[in-house]
Amino acid sequence: MKITDLFRIKKSVLTSEVGPVKGSVRPNPKSEKPKCLQEALAVRDYVDAVNVTDNQSAVMRLGSLPASVRLKESGIEPIYQITCRDRNRIALQSDILTAHSFGIDNILALTGDYTSLGDHRSAKPVFDLDSVQLIKIADGLKKGYDMMGHELTQAPDFALGAVVNPNFEPLDLQLLKMEKKIEAGAEFFQTQAVYDPRIFERFINIASGFGVPIQLGIVLVKSSKMAKFMNENVSGINVPENWIQEYDRAGTSKAKDVCVNLTSELVRELAPMCNGVHFMPLGWSSMVPEIIDKAGISKS
Amino acid sequence: MIGTVYKPMDEILSALEDCEKVIVTGCNGCAKVCKTGGEPEIKSMSEKLEAAGKTVVTQLLPERTCYIQHTTGAFQGHEDEIRSTDAFLVLGCGGAAQITRQALEEMGFLKPVKIGLDSVGHMDTVVANKLALEQCQECGECVLNETGGICPVTKCAKSLLNGPCGGAQNGKCEVDPERDCAWIMIYERMKALGEVNKLKVYTAPKDYSKMNKPRRVVLG
Repeated sequence: MKITDLFRIKKSVLTSEVGPVKGSVRPNPKSEKPKCLQEALAVRDYVDAVNVTDNQSAVMRLGSLPASVRLKESGIEPIYQITCRDRNRIALQSDILTAHSFGIDNILALTGDYTSLGDHRSAKPVFDLDSVQLIKIADGLKKGYDMMGHELTQAPDFALGAVVNPNFEPLDLQLLKMEKKIEAGAEFFQTQAVYDPRIFERFINIASGFGVPIQLGIVLVKSSKMAKFMNENVSGINVPENWIQEYDRAGTSKAKDVCVNLTSELVRELAPMCNGVHFMPLGWSSMVPEIIDKAGISKS
Repeated sequence: MIGTVYKPMDEILSALEDCEKVIVTGCNGCAKVCKTGGEPEIKSMSEKLEAAGKTVVTQLLPERTCYIQHTTGAFQGHEDEIRSTDAFLVLGCGGAAQITRQALEEMGFLKPVKIGLDSVGHMDTVVANKLALEQCQECGECVLNETGGICPVTKCAKSLLNGPCGGAQNGKCEVDPERDCAWIMIYERMKALGEVNKLKVYTAPKDYSKMNKPRRVVLG
């Protein structure tokens, strides 16, 4: 199922995200389901699709494609994330064809975090293409041609998504790139995590005019320590000071309650401005259903 | 200018492990400017080798080692010393070490040539005695006409051609918070020039075959 079909008929499309495990997921009678699958199952009844990250933060893990296929086999609609960091233009096009061949209907194309942020810091960063180029080339594959103009024996078909960071300063420059992505073939957007309603409002007031569905992105904050860490280390994320104080006041034992309250409040306020919400729970997938219920939103 | 820095002394001594007699050479071009392979540096390196128990047969300093005739010229007249040495230690760039090997081969010598420096890039910008930095990667397909004279291939960590990633914080690159985001610099420059609209044009993937190695230019 292409997520773009849902955007056409629904006011709000909900997605969540899982990160593949650092290990193989070949079924083994003795092993339990891999954590990424368990997490996806925890949100299956509450969201329309689940993103599968591509060696997120440049940390080496199972590929996003086999993890996406495992989700699909379990009745969960995957959004296969693909980044430009680790593969050149030959491998990226090939992987897109492979993904479609394995039943993937949704692809999210990103630049990718730089190698030095991850656990293989001496790796050679590829970045043969940028995200705009990858989107344009993926769009070309859908039309039946590779980037060199060679005809494909069978064209893939998928919903092609992209990301945008509403926190970026100057915003005009980020919007300029967003428009280039749309021009290149991006059909829907998920935003970087936004915590400040004013920032989201400023962004959505302009971007909603671009005519493509936009989902608000939310990273679940687990503690004040994590919030501070993200503010210092995760690109483009700014958790406001009042959130950090809430977590400090409540203490570790109540952190999940604070997370549910603050996130659902934020979602309740911002979700009506856009076309849905994309949750990035970073291991707290089990919290997503409660947040969705409390925010008063639903997948259908 | 080719930027060079010293290899750790342990690594140099390890490379010369089987060699008792050594000729130390430098380069009076780039390595001199980098203060890694000029006259004072080959002298200092010779002292360190002597202190480590080596015998330094002689010190030679070609004017610019990348010009093979300068290198051969600096070696001529030293044939007896070359014959007697166990190895050469070159304080120059990777090209200098290979030209030294080639010059020796052309003179009929088969001698191990070891390098004492690591080459760290083509430094196109030099603030004398202070700093050398790379602003151009010699990609073979210059985009400066479209980017306000600021190179995203070199100055953006991800070499993005169609605008910034989402990672910049306070105008700084997500990879190195000390470094300005290249695309914000490009945007500000184009804005000042009244040319922001030009950034809306799609830039196609680069032809990286122009960077396939080894590259060459036919002169004359």
